[in-house]
Amino acid sequence: MKLLIVEDEVDLLIAISNYLTKENYLCELADSYHKAEEKIVLYEYDVILLDITLGDGNGLDLLKSIKKHNVQAGIIILSAKNSLDDKISGLDLGADDYMTKPFQLTELNSRIKALLRRRKFDGSHLVAFNEITLDTDSKSVIVNKQRITLTRKEYELLLYFMINKNRVLTKEAIAEHLWEDNVDLSDNFDFIYTHMNNLRKKIKRCGGNDYIKTLYGMGYQFTDQ
Amino acid sequence: MKFLTKINRNFFMLFAAMLLVICIAGYFILQAMFLESARESLARKSTLIQHQIEQTGKLPQFDPLSQVTVIPKPAGRLKPSIKEVELFNSHEDELEPYAEYTKKVFINGTYYNIQLREETIEKDDLIFSLGVALFLLLVATFSISFFVNRRMNKTIWKGFEENLHAIEQFNFRNNAPLHLESTHIDEFDRLNTIVYGLTNKLKEDYRSLKEFTENASHELQTPLAIVLLNLEELLQQPLNEDAFKKTITSINALKRLSHLNQSLLLLAKIENNQFSAEENIDINEVLQRKLIEFEPLLHAKKITVEWTEKAICFWKINHYLAEILINNLLSNAVNHNIPHGNITISTKNGEFLICNTGNKSQFSDEIIFNRFVKGDSKSHGLGLAIVKQICETHHASIHYEQKERHCFRLTLPKYQ
Repeated sequence: MKLLIVEDEVDLLIAISNYLTKENYLCELADSYHKAEEKIVLYEYDVILLDITLGDGNGLDLLKSIKKHNVQAGIIILSAKNSLDDKISGLDLGADDYMTKPFQLTELNSRIKALLRRRKFDGSHLVAFNEITLDTDSKSVIVNKQRITLTRKEYELLLYFMINKNRVLTKEAIAEHLWEDNVDLSDNFDFIYTHMNNLRKKIKRCGGNDYIKTLYGMGYQFTDQ
Repeated sequence: MKFLTKINRNFFMLFAAMLLVICIAGYFILQAMFLESARESLARKSTLIQHQIEQTGKLPQFDPLSQVTVIPKPAGRLKPSIKEVELFNSHEDELEPYAEYTKKVFINGTYYNIQLREETIEKDDLIFSLGVALFLLLVATFSISFFVNRRMNKTIWKGFEENLHAIEQFNFRNNAPLHLESTHIDEFDRLNTIVYGLTNKLKEDYRSLKEFTENASHELQTPLAIVLLNLEELLQQPLNEDAFKKTITSINALKRLSHLNQSLLLLAKIENNQFSAEENIDINEVLQRKLIEFEPLLHAKKITVEWTEKAICFWKINHYLAEILINNLLSNAVNHNIPHGNITISTKNGEFLICNTGNKSQFSDEIIFNRFVKGDSKSHGLGLAIVKQICETHHASIHYEQKERHCFRLTLPKYQ
């Protein structure tokens, strides 16, 4: 998968590209409007991560240029502005998703994967991990060739774990992914345990392994190591 | 008290005092003048009598008011005198004032005392007529000033009053400019210029403060993102328990900071009226949708939700803000609830009420909506401030009551 990351804050650019490279994406970087425009005209990308406020121009103008030269690219806007107007005009101009800074890398990864699945870049709508297979089209889960029924939140939780496998996830990050910013969670994360335990039970019942590892009571990792 | 009334009252009091002084002085002056005129006429009369005695040597006969008597040689000099006396008047059956003129003369070796009297004006009459004059003058002045002022209120003060009204109505939050009428009166026009200058300066300051808040919030988000991303990467390294917990604590603290920043930004935007697109929102629909989102939280705390009344309830508001408002109110009702507690919701036309069980709170209606007011929860204390701000910009009112339950009553604007 070939990615272009457009972001004028170099530290942020490097942090994002380091992570995404580890996740086996081929990343190209642009730290200005000018450089980004050049790359967009010359090369083709599968996904473009686009910052709106660039030092030498507006990312929304770049969006128009992308739509002209890189039609097939999926676009995720990264913005420091949690502005509804920007979000609407960004999505109107053909962006696929909008993320507000600061965001978490696991969340970014989930969004990129979701975008790729929607665009069928992977050629597959199946996410697999050992004996567990998830079909994102029918939203069904198969463990050891047995179909299990999950609630919507349990399904989303499992998908988030499988996409971010081997990564340490905080329970706050999981809660935020499942309920976005809509719910002011403050200190109430108890409900995550319930979902987590139900999910574990359902997988175990079909003879699946418990891959959800608890780290010092504060974080989780979906891993077979 | 109005400026004109004040001026008039002072002026009127001063005028009355002056008139009183003038009247008292007038009384004495008039009295002296009457006496002087009586003296002159009596002196003339006495000279005539004197001549008559000189020529005839006889004492003339007069009316009872005049008397000429032969007297022995008086001591001292011969000097005429005039004084006022009161004599009984049998016609009118009362004492009447008279001017009494006494002159001692020496004619042909004999001393005579000529005493002449003339009726003079009564003191009561004088005081009465002066009093009447004073009263009439005061009434005339008062009524003239009253009519003049009424006219002046309509002409000279009208522009000023209108401008005062315009200044009263002026609000920095709505961006309508202040418009003051020219009054063609130097002092008032000068005041207008000063007010214009002041409001423009204040508006500019207010705007730049708003911009600063917004820009500062935006600029904070990028460094926050960098720190957060790096910490997240750090978390993926093999860490011992201590380092792991410290990293997660740091990540959570940073997220709180970021949420706080976003909430402040949201408040600034609501104040700046940046959510203008309004539509008729079905409050029941938003409440129901949000309750589904809150289901896991409600379930975890074993909180039950009950609708006590459900009527059609629409509000003309930006849909994004409506979601935030309902969200914050429900979050509040969940976060400050007790385990196995309940939430009751009631919607009516033009009003809705969200009540929850919970521990006694120390906050009153005036304080609870202030920024950074928080009870025992770990929230940033901006949720209800945002609710209040949304209500204010949409002409609705919200009140908090604490009886056996905590209730938030939101009254929608009347025009709905």
